Amino acid sequence: MTHWHTTAALSRALAIGSLGLAVAVLSGEPVLVVLTAPFLVFAALGLLHRPTTEPRFTTQLDHAVLHEGQGTRSRLSVDDLSEVEQVTRLAASVPHVAMHPADGRICRLIGPDGTLPVVEVSPRRWGRRNLGEENIALTSRWAGYRLGPTTLIGHQLQVLPVRAPFDSRAEAPQPIGLVGAHRSRRLGDGTEFAAIRPFQAGDRLRRINWRVSLRSQSLHVVTSRGEEDTGVLVVVDALADHGRSGGVDGTASSLDVTVRAAAALAEHHVRRGDRVALRVVGAGWESVGYGAGQRHLRMILGRLALLHVGEPRGFSADHLQFGATAGTVVIVLSPMLSDAMATATATLLRRGLPVLVIDTLPPDAAPAVVEGTDPRVADVAWRMRRLERDQVLARLSALGCPVVVWRGPGTLDDVLRRLARRAQLPQVSAR
Amino acid sequence: MIGAWSPGQWALRVTMVLGVLVALASTTLVGVVPDWWLVLVVTGLALGFASSPESHAGAVAMAFVVVWWGVSLRDGLHPEALLAAAGLLASHVAGLLAAYGPDELSVDAATVRRWVFRGLASFLLAPAVWLVAVLLRDRPEAPGVWVAGLTVALIATVAASMAFTAQEPT
Repeated sequence: MTHWHTTAALSRALAIGSLGLAVAVLSGEPVLVVLTAPFLVFAALGLLHRPTTEPRFTTQLDHAVLHEGQGTRSRLSVDDLSEVEQVTRLAASVPHVAMHPADGRICRLIGPDGTLPVVEVSPRRWGRRNLGEENIALTSRWAGYRLGPTTLIGHQLQVLPVRAPFDSRAEAPQPIGLVGAHRSRRLGDGTEFAAIRPFQAGDRLRRINWRVSLRSQSLHVVTSRGEEDTGVLVVVDALADHGRSGGVDGTASSLDVTVRAAAALAEHHVRRGDRVALRVVGAGWESVGYGAGQRHLRMILGRLALLHVGEPRGFSADHLQFGATAGTVVIVLSPMLSDAMATATATLLRRGLPVLVIDTLPPDAAPAVVEGTDPRVADVAWRMRRLERDQVLARLSALGCPVVVWRGPGTLDDVLRRLARRAQLPQVSAR
Repeated sequence: MIGAWSPGQWALRVTMVLGVLVALASTTLVGVVPDWWLVLVVTGLALGFASSPESHAGAVAMAFVVVWWGVSLRDGLHPEALLAAAGLLASHVAGLLAAYGPDELSVDAATVRRWVFRGLASFLLAPAVWLVAVLLRDRPEAPGVWVAGLTVALIATVAASMAFTAQEPT
């Protein structure tokens, strides 16, 4: 913490006031006192209000965890405001964080009730956002002394992906659980009609269908399908980020689409009572086991926000063990530019799991090229890479893996229904 | 960095330059034109003051003006001195406001209002001193009148400071 020091204004007022008085006395010219008398007032008042204590100050955020696009306030707290008149705050700009005032610079008088200037902060992209350093200066009354500028280290914000609007009315293809909202192939105590069959010992009396029983002269009961939950495994490809991210209001990169879609899917399935798990394929190998409930959802969103982008050392398809059990719906969110991801997806398909791929590559994505690379060569290479990717996606489709582009609500309805219909058919699964 | 100045900062910087130049040029109204080299030096210092409000250029420029008033006009208790005092004070207050932060900092209207009020209140001392000086001009100079005057001025300053502190607008 620095100390109070005189301002240039006080030095100037003292210098001009003293000079005017001295020359006036020496030369007997009262006009010089007329010129410099107001400076004497400034100098005297500045000196009179010399601070005697050194206040300590810190900044704090109202919220440490936010969703993209939400805002919070960075508040300055000063332990002793009795000798402070004005505050200047200069917050450094950082990418993907919007501030108000827009440049993060604010200069305000302290309010009569001790209110200090507030900088509003709004992260525009998910992830861990380190707010920049902030320089703070306090000025005493009559601007005679200044404390600072002192540099304070910026706070860290955990920015959860925005809850993209998503809803799906489609059922899970193979619900195998205990209690849930998906119509199971097994008979149970659900509400969905399955069949009418002769009464057996143990059947509930309220299940008897009297109309059929009277007609057939023997007791018949109505059977229904069980309603079960399902396991949903969300696989996030964080091997690279393609495209340019403009934040929550701008263009979306491949990881933006991936993370926001994963958050929306997780929220949707948790809301329906399904067990959701997360596997991130990236430098951090973040994962969340199967679970349900709001607390579990918060854990998933937190992991998504803190994922590390990049390819792990020695990465290959052999490393990808997702631990998907039978009946689990696997949703792979990937731009499918990695052979390992394509191989892992095909392996899951061969196991007989319902797998669907959400293509997250933005249509206008361009590769990041090394400086000095011929742009024509880079363009040709990128087009070839996209052609290879199209082939991979076509092969996955041929294997029975639906590939869809994320478009929010209804993205998965059609493909999940098709998967559910296919699940009714006998299948041969390879292990 | 000039390109990054906000309109408010531009207004402050222009006031800083014009205030000093008006104070210097106000002797012209009495018939004494400042030398060209003096105008050049003061203009350069004022521009330096405007570009760097925390520098000593402002104090030096103002010192030139004060000394010029002392040497150019003998017994110069002209009312134009009040214009010069207003110019110097305006330049000083504008420099004080500009020094609250970096060049790109937008100017806070409440802060400007407070300092304009303070500046106007402080300026009242100039006509008061001028009036006293005019009234006493033709009287024989009593021994110790300057010391007494200085003491009265300082006491008045301290009293005024107390009054300002109690009545400051919020």
